[in-house]
Amino acid sequence: MTTASALARLLKPVTPLAPGMSIADVADRLLTPEHKAFLSLPIVDAAGRPLGLVSRSTLQDIFMQRFGRDLRGRHPVQEVMNPAPLVVSLDTSLEEAAKQITGQLQYPVTEDFILVDAQGQYRGLGTVLDLLKAMEARIAQRNAVLRKALVDLKESQAQLVQSEKMASLGQMVAGVAHELNTPLGYVKNNVQLLRELSAPLFQLAEAQDCLADCLADPHCAEARLAVALDNAAKAREQATPELLVEDLNQLFDDTLYGLQQIAELVVGLKDFARLDRAMSEEVDLNDCIRSALVIARNSIKDKAEAILQLGELPRIPCAPSQINQVLLNLFTNAAQAIEGFGQIRVKTWAEETAVFVSVQDSGRGMPAAVLARIFDPFFTTKPVGQGTGLGLSISFKIIQDHGGLIRVASEPGRGTRFLIRLPRPQAAALQRSA
Amino acid sequence: MTAAPIRILFVDDEERILRSLALQFRRQYEVLTESDPHRALQRLKSEAVHILVSDQRMPQMSGAELLAQAREIAPQTLRILLTGYSDLDAAVAALNGGGIFRYLTKPWDQQEMAFTLRQAAEIAARQAQVPLLPSARLLAAPLNVLLLDDDPQTLAVVGDFCMNGGHRLVRASNLSEALAVLNAQSVDLLVSDLKLAGEEVAPLLKTLAQAHPRLLTLVVTPFCDTQALLKLINEAQIFRYLPKPIRRGLFEKGLQAAAEQAQLWRAQPAQVVARLAEVPREEREREKVGSLLGMLSRLRERLTA
Repeated sequence: MTTASALARLLKPVTPLAPGMSIADVADRLLTPEHKAFLSLPIVDAAGRPLGLVSRSTLQDIFMQRFGRDLRGRHPVQEVMNPAPLVVSLDTSLEEAAKQITGQLQYPVTEDFILVDAQGQYRGLGTVLDLLKAMEARIAQRNAVLRKALVDLKESQAQLVQSEKMASLGQMVAGVAHELNTPLGYVKNNVQLLRELSAPLFQLAEAQDCLADCLADPHCAEARLAVALDNAAKAREQATPELLVEDLNQLFDDTLYGLQQIAELVVGLKDFARLDRAMSEEVDLNDCIRSALVIARNSIKDKAEAILQLGELPRIPCAPSQINQVLLNLFTNAAQAIEGFGQIRVKTWAEETAVFVSVQDSGRGMPAAVLARIFDPFFTTKPVGQGTGLGLSISFKIIQDHGGLIRVASEPGRGTRFLIRLPRPQAAALQRSA
Repeated sequence: MTAAPIRILFVDDEERILRSLALQFRRQYEVLTESDPHRALQRLKSEAVHILVSDQRMPQMSGAELLAQAREIAPQTLRILLTGYSDLDAAVAALNGGGIFRYLTKPWDQQEMAFTLRQAAEIAARQAQVPLLPSARLLAAPLNVLLLDDDPQTLAVVGDFCMNGGHRLVRASNLSEALAVLNAQSVDLLVSDLKLAGEEVAPLLKTLAQAHPRLLTLVVTPFCDTQALLKLINEAQIFRYLPKPIRRGLFEKGLQAAAEQAQLWRAQPAQVVARLAEVPREEREREKVGSLLGMLSRLRERLTA
């Protein structure tokens, strides 16, 4: 184990003292250069078991007394050793050892600590300073790992937010593309029909031209005139312009209407993405709601009727593309929550300090356990692969970054209501978000 | 044709689609239109309609649902889905529940739409000439079932189905074995994945739809792609599409329905069989189908004999 070897690296193989060694001899040993680094020396019995530590400071105390060395120099060291020294097993982890040592250490630090093996046999000494250094190195290493983890986490969070953005953008584009297919369907067909239906009119014009030429020509033969007359009459009969008028007008009207629809969708898409505008500006949330509804129409249309009760709102500063993302998310969630055909009620109103948006569906609602977690990242009730579980957590963050609040209330079987509160200008300190 | 004109009912919540289609087809057919699916169903109850073309996404009722209900009211009517949304669930529902003849997409190609309706109209005209035999005459005769899937789950369900119904189960582990079986014996039901021993089965299904219109195919597959399913409907005229992992109840119902349909068709003259596959659009696939048709020559001889 690497943690065991960490302590082994601190081990200094110091020859232990026998309990009977004299204090004077111990003092001499402490004076030798190889023992300079130690505050204390270990005393070990014949079986290799540590008995205690004798510290420099103990000996100093003795020798500082008058005749201290002469009086006590011959006594065995056992008499003055600390019989309860710090003993740390080599297989202890560095952290555990540090905890143990700092827990027992007293001021001033006068001793080292004894390292023993698993059997309790003396192996060497360790110094507090070395332990501190080792801990510091370990902490520095941990910090580096944490810092990297933090960077990685931030990166992957940014990626997830981006992928959720892309997912909702993709959903939106696919929705609008499909939405375009209906007007495109009849517009295309109508143009082809217009071409077909107008063909006989050109033939009629040609036949009438021919006839006019004949009539204008005094030398025109009777027979030629008769043929021209006949042709013109036939062409007239074929073309039936009086019947065509209505059809053609209808086709032109419908085609123009369809083109208008297509144009509206494209404008809606552009408004929604606000690619051409700044991130933060004065925005009427009702406009955001309308454009998000255009975009969400394809996922709502066959699920619910959208009922709008939009009150007059003051413009507020916000990032409209982000607010649109939140609204789209709420609308599509609402539609998905509805079984059969239901209603999505969207209400807005303003109060003195804030504007409010309420999105309420008549869907299946959520039990409390789900409700408690819906803003959690990665929490989803959809099957694997169908939702990132980030939609609402990002919505939550967006609203929070706008200095606002998003709240939810739900009742199983009755529906769910989301309420967004965004502060009015004086209170708004818009933070830039991801 | 001196028979009564073919009546087509178009259903779409967008009136302009209805006007456009009505203008396109009013000369060839008797065109009816409804923008409300409920009214369309009412109409089916009171009037004979040969072909029903419905939009998918409508408020109140989806096209798949409308077609499924229409099938109950007027099973003889040929049903076509016309949609601007490529939606797998809707396509599966329209096929399995609505038994659609075609899945068409918006914006549609004028010629293609005209061609499809002409094909449907031909079938409708044929059916109108030959009255359907009363179902009382149906015999629960044993059928031959060919299984092209080595999934043990599929085998278990199909095996039980054959055992209980007294049907004969034949298996083939690759395409050439399948061709040999189809050439040698008459097969009524085909249960197949889209991949067999690493080979694509779709071309064979498309070939069979042309060579053997009475054969009913149930596709059981983990593979799901709207475009691929659309082609399987239009070009292979598959009877059911069942996603894997298999839901036993659904699968058994599909097999049961296929067996009933096969027995019904067995008792009827060929004209009544309301199946006519589109020729595959992709050149490579068309060639493949052509060569497979050659390999199935004995099957075709037997069927025309």
